[in-house]
Amino acid sequence: MLLIENLSVSYGAVQALKDVSLEVPHGHVTAVIGANGAGKSTLMRTLAGLTKPQSGQVTFNGEVISGRKPEDIVRMGIALVPEGRSTIPELTVEDNLKLGGMWRSHAQRNASLSRAYSLFPVLGERKSMRADTLSGGERQQLAIGRALMTGPQVLLLDEPSLGLAPLIVTQILELVARMAWDSGLAVLLVEQNATVALRIARTGVVLNLGEVVKSGPAAEIASDEELRHAYLGY
Amino acid sequence: MTNFIDFLLGGFSSGAVIALMALALVMVWRSTRMVNFAQVGQAMFTTYIALTVQQSTGNWLLALAVAMVAGLILGIVVFFLVIRPVKNSDTTGAIIATFGVLIALQAGAGMIWGGDPEGFIPPVSNAGLEFAGRIWPVSLYDILVWIVTAALVIGLTLLFTKTSLGLSMRASAFNPEVARLSGVRVNRMLITGWAIAGATGAVGGVLIAPVSTISPNSFDILLVFAFTAAVIGGLDSLIGAVTFGIGTGLVISLVSGYTDASNAPVVALALLALNLLLKPDGVFSHHGSRSV
Repeated sequence: MLLIENLSVSYGAVQALKDVSLEVPHGHVTAVIGANGAGKSTLMRTLAGLTKPQSGQVTFNGEVISGRKPEDIVRMGIALVPEGRSTIPELTVEDNLKLGGMWRSHAQRNASLSRAYSLFPVLGERKSMRADTLSGGERQQLAIGRALMTGPQVLLLDEPSLGLAPLIVTQILELVARMAWDSGLAVLLVEQNATVALRIARTGVVLNLGEVVKSGPAAEIASDEELRHAYLGY
Repeated sequence: MTNFIDFLLGGFSSGAVIALMALALVMVWRSTRMVNFAQVGQAMFTTYIALTVQQSTGNWLLALAVAMVAGLILGIVVFFLVIRPVKNSDTTGAIIATFGVLIALQAGAGMIWGGDPEGFIPPVSNAGLEFAGRIWPVSLYDILVWIVTAALVIGLTLLFTKTSLGLSMRASAFNPEVARLSGVRVNRMLITGWAIAGATGAVGGVLIAPVSTISPNSFDILLVFAFTAAVIGGLDSLIGAVTFGIGTGLVISLVSGYTDASNAPVVALALLALNLLLKPDGVFSHHGSRSV
């Protein structure tokens, strides 16, 4: 389980995260929702090691991960799919996938590669094409596929719905939820699109101006109209 | 017409060496987005080491191998000397620091081996081959240069396109953040890029030494040609470096043949200026990867 305790992050004078605590259990999707600038991406980048926390700590199965380098954190089993379909356009689809988990054994990598192709058949069909020939939805699948190639126990998804058609968003997120359920993956999903995120999540966390204002069962948060008006703007 | 063909044939060997130097510049550019002006200085230094090995053992292959290893090590040393201290603050500082390293290497070589030009004995004959009733401007040594260059270029291509190390290096160059998030130790990949560039330049130095002489400054002009080739090729393209490296060799051979050898650098710089005016991104570059 990924445990976040009293995490604070600041960029110069701007306090991006204040005293954030939450847990991400295995086998479920935990959704962090909130408006633009609520600190969602900062949270994800800090968990992945791209941003250093000011105070507080993050532990994974009892081991402290906060303050470590991104390449070490991913090797411990925590993979981030950053915002904006982070594939490498100059590389082929297969090379983008193979990039994930290069430190793992040949057998493990081959198993993950066939799993990625069975989860996302379209990637198998296009494996020798350059990543920039893919559509937005396909690139998002590729980015998730690359993260899965690292053999993660925790998957961090930063705004996977950004710029994608609603139907594709639903498909991708339902797949992620099924994966969490089937293989015990812990998923932390950050979304501006609260409706979809709360539908597939078990727990919801509302972030506002860097602080957790509410956390609880996703269904409860989804039906809390006051909360929606105040922090999610719909 | 006979002249034209002779000049062209004569240009291939220097073109091959320019291509290797340009490759070295491109590999450094791809890993750390900067031009290493000390590259030819490193090649000069490792060529002196090769010269010492050859003079004491008489074994050219051993000299070449020692130069490559020395090139790898020197590449890593320069990386730590130049990039580590200044990288985070600013690239311009690091580029200027490479000039400092160049001057230091030239001064160091002068102190160790002296400033007088020395000859490097080729392992095979450097005399033009006789074929079909005439002497051609191609020697056995030229053919050796072509073979070694081709082997190195093919080896590097396979390394970059077929191996995990190559994929890690390419990914680190294209998008370091995604590479790190995938578990690649990007910093090590950057150092590896500098090391391979050092070895590639070392091969270029050993190959050119027998057809010129070696002195602390004898490779300076090579920097002009290699830089021209690398920039016209787009700075981040290995194919571009090889193509325009050989192309530059042919052009300078024609210019030297028809006019005078002293005009070659001027023509190279004119081509560079023309390229920057007409196609500032370089011919083989990925769009927008370089700003001028």
